[in-house]
Amino acid sequence: MVSISTRVGKRKIEEPVMLASGILDETSGSILRSLESGAGISVTKSIGTEERKGYSTPIVSVIKTGMLNAVGLANPGIDAFLEEFTEVEKKDRIAVSIFGKDSEEFSYLAKRVEEAGFGIVELNLSCPHVQGFGSEVGQDPELVEDIIAEIRGKTNLQIWAKLTPNVTDLIEIARAAEKADAYVLINTLKATGVDIYSRNFLLSNKIGGYSGPGIKPVALRAVYDVFRETGKDIIGVGGISDWSDAIEFFLLGAKAVQVGTGIYYEDYAIFRKINEGISNYLEQEKFSSLDEIIGLMVRK
Amino acid sequence: MNFSEIKEINSLGRNIFSIRFNALEEAMPGQFLMIWVPGIKEVPMSISSMDNGFEITFKVYGEATKKLSEMNVGDRIFYRGPYGKPYPEPVGKTAYVAGGTGLASLKPLINKHGGDVYIGARTKDELFLLDSNFHISTDDGSMGFQGNVVDLFLSIGKVYDTIYVCGPEIMMKNFYDRAGRKYGKNVYFSLERLMKCGIGICDSCSINGFRVCRDGPVFSYDEISMMDEFGVKRRTESGKIELMIKR
Repeated sequence: MVSISTRVGKRKIEEPVMLASGILDETSGSILRSLESGAGISVTKSIGTEERKGYSTPIVSVIKTGMLNAVGLANPGIDAFLEEFTEVEKKDRIAVSIFGKDSEEFSYLAKRVEEAGFGIVELNLSCPHVQGFGSEVGQDPELVEDIIAEIRGKTNLQIWAKLTPNVTDLIEIARAAEKADAYVLINTLKATGVDIYSRNFLLSNKIGGYSGPGIKPVALRAVYDVFRETGKDIIGVGGISDWSDAIEFFLLGAKAVQVGTGIYYEDYAIFRKINEGISNYLEQEKFSSLDEIIGLMVRK
Repeated sequence: MNFSEIKEINSLGRNIFSIRFNALEEAMPGQFLMIWVPGIKEVPMSISSMDNGFEITFKVYGEATKKLSEMNVGDRIFYRGPYGKPYPEPVGKTAYVAGGTGLASLKPLINKHGGDVYIGARTKDELFLLDSNFHISTDDGSMGFQGNVVDLFLSIGKVYDTIYVCGPEIMMKNFYDRAGRKYGKNVYFSLERLMKCGIGICDSCSINGFRVCRDGPVFSYDEISMMDEFGVKRRTESGKIELMIKR
């Protein structure tokens, strides 16, 4: 079998397929199940300083080309989260997603995460449906730069910055986040949907995030542009549901990929299926490692 | 999202209602629907009959169920599903052990296969769909055996090949602890947990890595044995763990 191990920032990762934040990652039991199912790293649901109930149901809606969701950053808050995860094994393969309104909140959360024994934080600079957080923070270049500098100064964590595609100039934001160890591209697209017979919005929050197969071309374009402009490490996410989707991301510069909505279609088996598919592709196309195809179409 | 016209709505007991509507989907006993009350909420409900469309049976406990209970024949009901794994077919002598509205989930199985039914509730007003040969218990002794349904089951002491259990998790834990081991692999439990997406992605209803909505809601004795949170801890809407019975 051809090696599919990869490296993101300073971290070597055995399997290049990760569990994306927001899907099946609120409970420690589910995080462990994804790791046992072949995810190289699992990213937790985004954790904030305080407990949040999230939005009322419906919080998801399956549409023709993917899915809409507005969970509303439901999370138990950093104290309860760490209490649950303190005893959990495989912490070296768990990245903790955090969200806050400013650099103070982000750096406080990052410090707590580091003290608890984790090595990677993913910064949620991109959730499209909660006022005052996520993409509202992530579209302000100065704030993004400030947040990352603060975490960099106060911790030794690997910092992954998950950016929003819902901006006019993604490169500007990427440059503001360049002190991160890697970019995670992309979060969901800000979107909505309508039920024409009840004449109601599909989501209780009306506005949500669009994920699934329909957003893959948008994610690929973001990875391509940012890799070409910055050359930095990128984790590709958006609409990946099989191994060939993942290969597209690698060819355009992603060093690893994440799957979220894909689990709805393929369940937990998706991790192993994609890992095997990547290995088979490399072998058939006569590459000796995953490294050889990363950014191949951009370097040419 | 699908919708259908309500064909029938019945009041079955204190705050307990059933609604029947046309449906083109196929469902198996034990599966559930996500019922959407636009503008209010979406809630999971087990299917209490799948002959002649679907029937749901529920107790009014919040705004969404209140609104449903006030609907009329001809109104539209919105739903998605059916979701979840069904009950396996029974083998040999069969018993059904239900707490409160847990009977709704077991009803299609009882109608299809028959067997002994044990039903418990706090008081007689909360009992519904009773049949003269059911074994009944009430906590306050207002009808049948005084005590809980697990006490009643054990006091009768009959032996079964297959047992289905559905009710409040504390009651099912009680059954698991006191009778589960004796019957082992042919005992099935249908769990109810706070559920948001219904399709196995949001993690709200997960218990030790098992998703009630997609891996369940029906679990075998062996699966339940892998859940140390069963009957002990639950999660709030934020995902925070809390003890089911405060100590």
